[in-house]
Amino acid sequence: MVNALSCFDVDVSVVESGAKLADAGRIVLPGVGSFDAGMCGLAERGHLEALRNRVLDAGVPYLGICLGMQFLFEGSAEGSLAGLGWLKGRVERFVSGPGHPKVPHVGWNEVDIAPSSSLMAGLESPTDFYFVHSYYAPLAATETVAVGTCDYGVRFCAALERDNIAAVQFHPEKSQLGGMKLFQTFLNPGQ
Amino acid sequence: MSIVQKHRLIASLLVYNGDVVQTRRFRPTNNVGSAFTAVDFFNGWTVDEIIVLEISKDDAHLDRFETIVEGLSRRCFVPLTVGGKIRDLDRVQTYTRAGADKVALNTAALQRPTLITEIAGRYGSQCVVVSIDARRNPLMPSGYEAVGDRGRVPSGRDARAWAEDVVRLGAGEILLNEIEHDGDKRGYDLGLVRLISDAVDIPVVAFGGVANWDHFVEGVRLGHAHAVAAGNIFHYTEHSTKKAKEFMTAAGLPVRGTTFYKVAMPRRPSYKPF
Repeated sequence: MVNALSCFDVDVSVVESGAKLADAGRIVLPGVGSFDAGMCGLAERGHLEALRNRVLDAGVPYLGICLGMQFLFEGSAEGSLAGLGWLKGRVERFVSGPGHPKVPHVGWNEVDIAPSSSLMAGLESPTDFYFVHSYYAPLAATETVAVGTCDYGVRFCAALERDNIAAVQFHPEKSQLGGMKLFQTFLNPGQ
Repeated sequence: MSIVQKHRLIASLLVYNGDVVQTRRFRPTNNVGSAFTAVDFFNGWTVDEIIVLEISKDDAHLDRFETIVEGLSRRCFVPLTVGGKIRDLDRVQTYTRAGADKVALNTAALQRPTLITEIAGRYGSQCVVVSIDARRNPLMPSGYEAVGDRGRVPSGRDARAWAEDVVRLGAGEILLNEIEHDGDKRGYDLGLVRLISDAVDIPVVAFGGVANWDHFVEGVRLGHAHAVAAGNIFHYTEHSTKKAKEFMTAAGLPVRGTTFYKVAMPRRPSYKPF
């Protein structure tokens, strides 16, 4: 992730404590691991309050990736901890077993992009992005914010935008030029 | 429910004693220079994934290989599979820390199959690619034997039975090569590719022998491979992965598109020769 962002004309730092978020002009939250472990990590580092201050109050542009998208909701089927709760609804698990596609969902898949998307302006619809996940934000919970949808046995929210908050379920840093274009748009919306 | 997954086009780099090489029948033939230049080319075009394998005789060049992998992950914005000399979880960790999304293993898995399960347990099956190097052997039930140690040590295992075993053990994907076809420009060993692809329900990546774009199409159509890989052919042909994709599209295969987006990346690492 740092490698990808570092290609652009921006200074990238990995912040270990919430206090350091104060200086950030843009915030990217990639997620690795599981929902509860991730929320614990955010709480321990003092990121929860800092994110609320910076993103919700100060309006700093936020890009959540993968788990960083799922954290925005009230909770997840993967864990018992509360999410940030900035968006209503809960993250669900793909149904697995006979008659369903394999879980996790790994690989390139098409994302249908809404014309209203600013993050993916300039990208064709559909564009293929690279996914690795077992949990997803249902469309029912994201009706008003979804700007990208993807079909994996069930159609789910692959990208959302609300004011200064954007989030994607896929990995732009693994999605070649489509992903790099998305980063460019996030980092330099004017270009 | 079956989801139509697009067929992946994969570029592979073989690193021998720290250099990218071409091979024929598993012997390095010539040096083609820097892995970074090659990846810069693939990246700007349309390859779906990159596989980089360390194929030196011994461990003497592994440090340099790690440096190469780190360098690749700084400029490779597609999934990266790294293989070579994986005998334990430590090496898997080294490779994933250096930027690997998946690891490919062969010889150690033949010697100690539970290694597959150990890696899948810690990193998930999607991270585990088992590489099978097969050679014709009429004494084997399927007619092919799995061979270890860079094509030099027959394992005594039937290639198809081994493929079925690795699925049970937790492999997420099989990278399949036939030793006599490697670098031989005859295309894949389609009989082998179909034999293995039809026997397992995980993706099989056909590799070895591609000399023209039609070989990719054959790999999918006749070999039933899920994904197709090549090394040598990409090194000297300009825009080769794009042309390969366009050929596959024209042949009616579902593949990821080749749309080019101009993205200014002023701080992207520039090419520095070793």
